[in-house]
Amino acid sequence: MKSFVDSVAQWSRFQRNRNIVIQAVFLFFVTLLGVYFFVRASGLELSLSHFSSRAGFGLSHTFLVDYTSNDSRWVAYFTGVVNTIRVCLVAIFLTTLLGTVMGVARLSKNFLTSKIAWTYVEVLRNTPLLIQIIFWQIVFLQLPQISEAITFGDTTAISNRGILLPWISDNGNAQVWFIFLGIVAAGSLYLSYFLNKREDVSGKSFSIFGNRLNGNLAGISLFVIVTIVTYFAFGRPVSMDIPEITQNNKGTWMQSGGFDLSPEFAAILFALVIYTGTFITEIVRGSIQSLSKGQTEAAQAIGLSKYQAMTLVILPQALRSIIPPLTNQFLNLTKNSSLAVVIAYPDLFMVSRTIMNNSGHALPVFFLILLTYLFLSLCISLVMNLINRRVTRIGA
Amino acid sequence: MTTPRINFKEIKDWTIDNFFGSKLGILLTLFSALVITYFVLSMISFLSSAEWEVVTTNRRLLLLGRLPEEDTWRAWPILWLFCSIFCSSIGAWGNPKKRELLLLLLAFLMPAAIFFTLPYIVHIFATVLIGSVAYISSKIIRRTSYIEILKKALVSLWILIIPLSFTILIVGGGPQSNLWGGFLLNILLASVAVVAGFPLGILMAVGRATKLPVIKTVCTVYIETVRGAPLVGWLLLAWFVLPKFLPDLFGLNDLSVVIRAMIVLSFFASAYIAEVIRGGLQSISKGQLEAADALNLGYIDRMRIIVLPQAIRVVIPAIVSQFIGLFKDTSLVFILALTDLLQVGRIIPEQDPKFFGKQLEALLVVASLFWVVSVVLSNLSSKIEKNLGIGTR
Amino acid sequence: MKKIKYTLLISALFAMTAFSFACASEDSSEASSSGGSNTLQQVLDRGMLKCGVNDNLAGFGVVAADGSFSGFDIDFCKAVAAAILGDSGKVEYTPTTASNRFEALGSGEIDLLIRNTTWTASRDRELKQDFTAPTFYDGQGMMVYVDSGYNSIDDMEGATICVLQGTTTELNLDDRFTGTGMSYTPLTFETNDPLQAAFEEKRCDGWTTDKSGLASKRASFPASAGGPEALKVLPETLSKEPLGPLTRDNDSEFYDVVQWVVFGMMQAEESGINSSNVSSIASNPPNPGVARLLGASFEGGEVQDFSFGIPKDFMQKVISQVGNYGEVYDRHLVPLGLERAGSLNAMWTEGGLIYAPPFR
Repeated sequence: MKSFVDSVAQWSRFQRNRNIVIQAVFLFFVTLLGVYFFVRASGLELSLSHFSSRAGFGLSHTFLVDYTSNDSRWVAYFTGVVNTIRVCLVAIFLTTLLGTVMGVARLSKNFLTSKIAWTYVEVLRNTPLLIQIIFWQIVFLQLPQISEAITFGDTTAISNRGILLPWISDNGNAQVWFIFLGIVAAGSLYLSYFLNKREDVSGKSFSIFGNRLNGNLAGISLFVIVTIVTYFAFGRPVSMDIPEITQNNKGTWMQSGGFDLSPEFAAILFALVIYTGTFITEIVRGSIQSLSKGQTEAAQAIGLSKYQAMTLVILPQALRSIIPPLTNQFLNLTKNSSLAVVIAYPDLFMVSRTIMNNSGHALPVFFLILLTYLFLSLCISLVMNLINRRVTRIGA
Repeated sequence: MTTPRINFKEIKDWTIDNFFGSKLGILLTLFSALVITYFVLSMISFLSSAEWEVVTTNRRLLLLGRLPEEDTWRAWPILWLFCSIFCSSIGAWGNPKKRELLLLLLAFLMPAAIFFTLPYIVHIFATVLIGSVAYISSKIIRRTSYIEILKKALVSLWILIIPLSFTILIVGGGPQSNLWGGFLLNILLASVAVVAGFPLGILMAVGRATKLPVIKTVCTVYIETVRGAPLVGWLLLAWFVLPKFLPDLFGLNDLSVVIRAMIVLSFFASAYIAEVIRGGLQSISKGQLEAADALNLGYIDRMRIIVLPQAIRVVIPAIVSQFIGLFKDTSLVFILALTDLLQVGRIIPEQDPKFFGKQLEALLVVASLFWVVSVVLSNLSSKIEKNLGIGTR
Repeated sequence: MKKIKYTLLISALFAMTAFSFACASEDSSEASSSGGSNTLQQVLDRGMLKCGVNDNLAGFGVVAADGSFSGFDIDFCKAVAAAILGDSGKVEYTPTTASNRFEALGSGEIDLLIRNTTWTASRDRELKQDFTAPTFYDGQGMMVYVDSGYNSIDDMEGATICVLQGTTTELNLDDRFTGTGMSYTPLTFETNDPLQAAFEEKRCDGWTTDKSGLASKRASFPASAGGPEALKVLPETLSKEPLGPLTRDNDSEFYDVVQWVVFGMMQAEESGINSSNVSSIASNPPNPGVARLLGASFEGGEVQDFSFGIPKDFMQKVISQVGNYGEVYDRHLVPLGLERAGSLNAMWTEGGLIYAPPFR
């Protein structure tokens, strides 16, 4: 009769069984660790109930959220989240542009241009972002003071309180109009696509009064015409919002109207865009270089200009190997936006720090910060994965 | 006999080719020239009005933080150790051109010039001397058969350098760890984080690459959680979470904030290193694994003997990049009120009325110190990359 | 291949030794920081007082080029060290920021927090920390440019105000403006240096913090931005700001020592004892009260020992090494232009609030 030990030995000889044992042991230790932390944490204040009390502090940037200090800490926190998303979205867009341009410039035949791109990468990639943020804050503070603001024809005002740009203001039914315009834009895009496709496939093109109808032109003109017509049909839903700088009766300079690009926002935006741009430059350069030279030559052989060769042949192919590392950079950018804390841009990190200090309950706020950043990272990863799937499918 | 003559046609061709090749080329040249002129002019106007007293008075604070005067000597052996190992490694493995060696020397002498003081001229001179001796001697050894031994010794020294530096800092009742500061702190934090994060990173990477679902999930969750949140957030952990969660054993819950920052940075680094190594694991071809199977190696042996050594070799440049990133990110410890280099640079203009408003001078010096180290390392990493033949097909 | 394996093994090993080395250099003999701790015993065992301070506020706490600290708050750290350990030099300073100081005290990183911290109900209750006797009575003020024409905070409708994060000032500011229905924009900074940069460039109309802090910042305002004359502090006080040292909750022995060192320095000033005459007075105290304060014998008779757990002549060491309250004030705050006469920080005999309970 086999002993118990023998049977265990035989049982564990099977790979599958051994795996189960290994995982069980592993799980046991992980659970042990988890229980330890749980026991430790159970003695601490972990509830977020204090978030419903009055915030009691003001915020300088309240984008899209109508925040006052009478709102709860939740609203303050949400304002911070919106501020983070705002700076990240704009920065991601701009840094991609900058990185692509610099990546192409890095490979330019023009000696000066490629050296500029090289210097840009070598200098700014190797200095800490924090220094760059502080630097840009100092730079934007060098703009003229508000009493000596530069104005351009009373429509734009530049001072170190903010760059004021003309914007649009709602006259009542702007939202309906914007939704309508969105539908029109989609229709116009489809029209251009349809016309171009038809021309590509059949070689035939529509013609009006004997002139060939360009697909892009048709789309754009459709959109413009409909926009103008409906603008009046909707009873002028929006009007220009011209910014103004005035002095009230006590002598305080007041900014009103328009779109306010504050120096704090500008500084963190510039720093993030320029710092992340250096990494994207290297990514773009690397993936262009990884394409064989034959591609450029072939593109030129079929008569494409340099610009066309770049935008129609090289970049679309490079895109496939660009996107995964690009996603990483976007994630880094989002996380780095938390450094806004040093220059008074109330992002989610800064607002939560304030709440931490005011409430004295640091731990739950800390977990909330973690979860929010994880959520933001997850969103970016998802979107980029979708794009990646689409890009790789086109190529395949 | 022909005397070498300047070929004007060649120069002309090169100029036209590079600057005025096409309409676009001319436009680019003009634009670039404008940009360069602007930057050079603003640099000149800044440098001509800059006053460096704020930096020169605070040399020691910038480099070593609040390390007491009587402990300053501890910094030099660490520098010499670093310098000799670094230089002899270049001698043993690298094939540097003269230009690159010169640049390296300049890169070292630039901060040295900023921090030049008469009592230390001997030390700086000694550093250069030690570096060159180490380089030349390992160059000579390279011609002999002892090179393999030297290489082994160097590898172990690179691993030993962190504990050695700690020993130098601590031996015979060194300063309290919360007095470590300035540039020394940045270097220590980053080195400890990478060295301590490395083993954990390997474990996590292997764990994530296994087929065992439980281990895979746990490792993935760990890596993605750490990577999902910003370092400043994790550093807050060092303030109020670690003391509450560490066990009461060995005074673990009473560590100074510097050590706690090191712990957090190590865990942080491990997640990033794990991702880098995972990339390396994926680069191992299937044939290798099949060969290992054919040899009837178990999982652990296969990993240990075949996969990991290759994967780690491949990712050395990427790890150096991680180190550079982490090194720059150590400036974020300001959130813990640690006086690292950048924090010192930020507080010294407050010190004395004559320094008020001299932030840019201080920031520029701080930035250039970070820059020198990062540039040297990133050049090194691309050199290793070329030597390993990665990225070339 | 084996080499790599050993490399890994060794690196893991040395990472661990590195940490243990580092840990060994710390004082590992201390008890847990949470719960009813006995900081006094820890300080005595350690032979060192860990003091959390400001490194960035002229007059109260700045760090010099050689890494040493000086200032009004720093002197109170020195006084406590002199009382407990007999040597005012046995202090280990930890710079803290406005937003991390409480975490530092709570986590045991420091024994004592003296960093112009305002005593408030919520801090006393929620932070699990205790305030000892205030060392400085302050009030939140508003600093503006002279040429702005502001004469009161009521003039500042719509203004942009620079303020430091993690302070009560941020909340007081909001109370003041929203309470009177005025709009304003706060610019909240984590540290002082970008705040000052912003104020110098008139990014904000006003700068609010404790009046002592404002005086310090005004005195040190760079000439390139107009110098001190370009600025004025509005007369209004937004809040009461009693600043004083903090200890952890339920740490009464240490708390008592800190509290009575502060009181002792005040009493010494009242009794006319200062650093230059303390030794002669101690050898021949004029009355039993002074003898009790200094722990000296009065005409051969031993005086009462207050049993603080430290030698009874602790005030002698404090006064001889650091000085009395007035000396500390004159040394650090008068140069900033913070006149003492007529302020809340004058002696109670002169109409101020500096008042020590009896040493009896």
